Amino acid sequence: MNYTFDWSVLWTGQSGQWLLQGLAVTLQLSALAWVLAVVLGIVAGALRTVPFRPLRWGATGYVEFFRNVPLLVWMFFWYFGVPPLLPRVAQDWLYDHGAEFWAGTIALGVYHGARMSEVIRSGIGAIPRTQFEASLAMGLTTFQAYRLVILPVALRLIVPPGTSESLNLLKNSSVALTISVAELTFQTRQIETYTAKAIEALTAGTLIYLALCLSIATIMARLERHYAIPGLISRTKAG
Amino acid sequence: MKRMLALMLTLAVALTAAPALAQDTLDKIKSTGVLTIGTRTGSPPFAYVNKANQWVGFSIDLVETLIKPEVETAVGKAIKIEKKESTPPTRIPLLSSNAVDLIAGTMTDTPQRRESVDFSLTFFYTGAQFMVKKGSPIKSVNDIAGKRIATQQGSTNEKILREKYPQAQLRAFPDQPAAFQALLQGQADAYTNDGIQLYGLKAKAPKPDDWDVVGDFYSEEPYGMAMRKGDAKFKTVVDAGLRKGLEGGKYFEIYDKWFGPKGELPYPMTPQVRAYLLKQIGK
Repeated sequence: MNYTFDWSVLWTGQSGQWLLQGLAVTLQLSALAWVLAVVLGIVAGALRTVPFRPLRWGATGYVEFFRNVPLLVWMFFWYFGVPPLLPRVAQDWLYDHGAEFWAGTIALGVYHGARMSEVIRSGIGAIPRTQFEASLAMGLTTFQAYRLVILPVALRLIVPPGTSESLNLLKNSSVALTISVAELTFQTRQIETYTAKAIEALTAGTLIYLALCLSIATIMARLERHYAIPGLISRTKAG
Repeated sequence: MKRMLALMLTLAVALTAAPALAQDTLDKIKSTGVLTIGTRTGSPPFAYVNKANQWVGFSIDLVETLIKPEVETAVGKAIKIEKKESTPPTRIPLLSSNAVDLIAGTMTDTPQRRESVDFSLTFFYTGAQFMVKKGSPIKSVNDIAGKRIATQQGSTNEKILREKYPQAQLRAFPDQPAAFQALLQGQADAYTNDGIQLYGLKAKAPKPDDWDVVGDFYSEEPYGMAMRKGDAKFKTVVDAGLRKGLEGGKYFEIYDKWFGPKGELPYPMTPQVRAYLLKQIGK
């Protein structure tokens, strides 16, 4: 092989600092987008199951529209397509205050909101209809039934696929580099173009993403066990 | 246990034996019959997709007219040229991973890059400038503090601005079309790239008169074709092709085709650049 390894490029010079800055941006981007995605996901997922047709259609429209277009296209849409529609003053202010970060957050959040809503909808669908009927019989409105009875159980049911979608969101945050957001993957490429050591730089990025995702998965598993309702889902002893 | 040991020993032998199987570039071209080049798709007039949807350009022509015959003589048979897209962040990895054999686009020859790749003779000479909207207050590299400057990630321009002018707010995009779009729409106040490429973009912009290329060269950018490091035989062939073109005049014909008065982008060659190019081959 003509390639000489030089792992010191990862901590000499500015590489370490860049990796940390990239990590910080990735975490901020993912956290904000995750909150947006979960909120949109719960609203859209629940609305797809209510008896009221216009709300169902609205939610279905949102889901099908946003999840069937690649995320990369959405990144360009929110960064290049939306700002020109705003008044010039708003545009200038936005460009000076991290337009690319917010475009990336919204693109990521709305896209994953659509995907999250399907996960939540399946959780709601797994709850017997009798629960809903019993809530109504007790005098709760539809909204109260969802808020107090259906959603608490549904959210517990969907922790595994929900975790999977959340990890997807974290990994998809790297697509934001196409609109110049300086997140982790951008910084690994930066290291690679400055030092020409592609394998070392990409290994660093890989290990950091791996560590992040494994930690999040572990935390979610703990949360699942902590909030599980005894007897609700059959679990094997090995858990 | 024994099987595990045998497997690991086999793997160890296979991995250490690998270097002995590595071919040099000319052998690879001879066996596959293809010279794969990494080139740009959005950098007129060096390498771009034109209105007729053809992938053409000055750098591509240099390869097809000057380098290809030389390679064919060296391997003793006809070869095909295959083009793959390469951008500043991807070009060196594409070369090291053997996905392409030659980078023929807009790559600046720098001492730092020479640590990772070999460069051919310089085939073009330009410098870094800025493209701004007409009437912009930015007139040179000294005016960029606090301004949003679009760059291509991985380019020499980005590196220089980042190191020497940290007060400028850089927005690094993966490739030229996205960076130019940011300038067009106002996400960036200026776009920095090599002067000749800025002129190329300006000519192809929807309203060319809205844009100005400003500033003295804040860096010198000699373009070379990049090859894998240490491949002396291939470098000799590529350099021979360029040398023959410069000596015989074919290079200047191709230059005229793209940069002459009737070319895609009229950009007369200054006497200094002409002397520099000829001095490389000892004239």
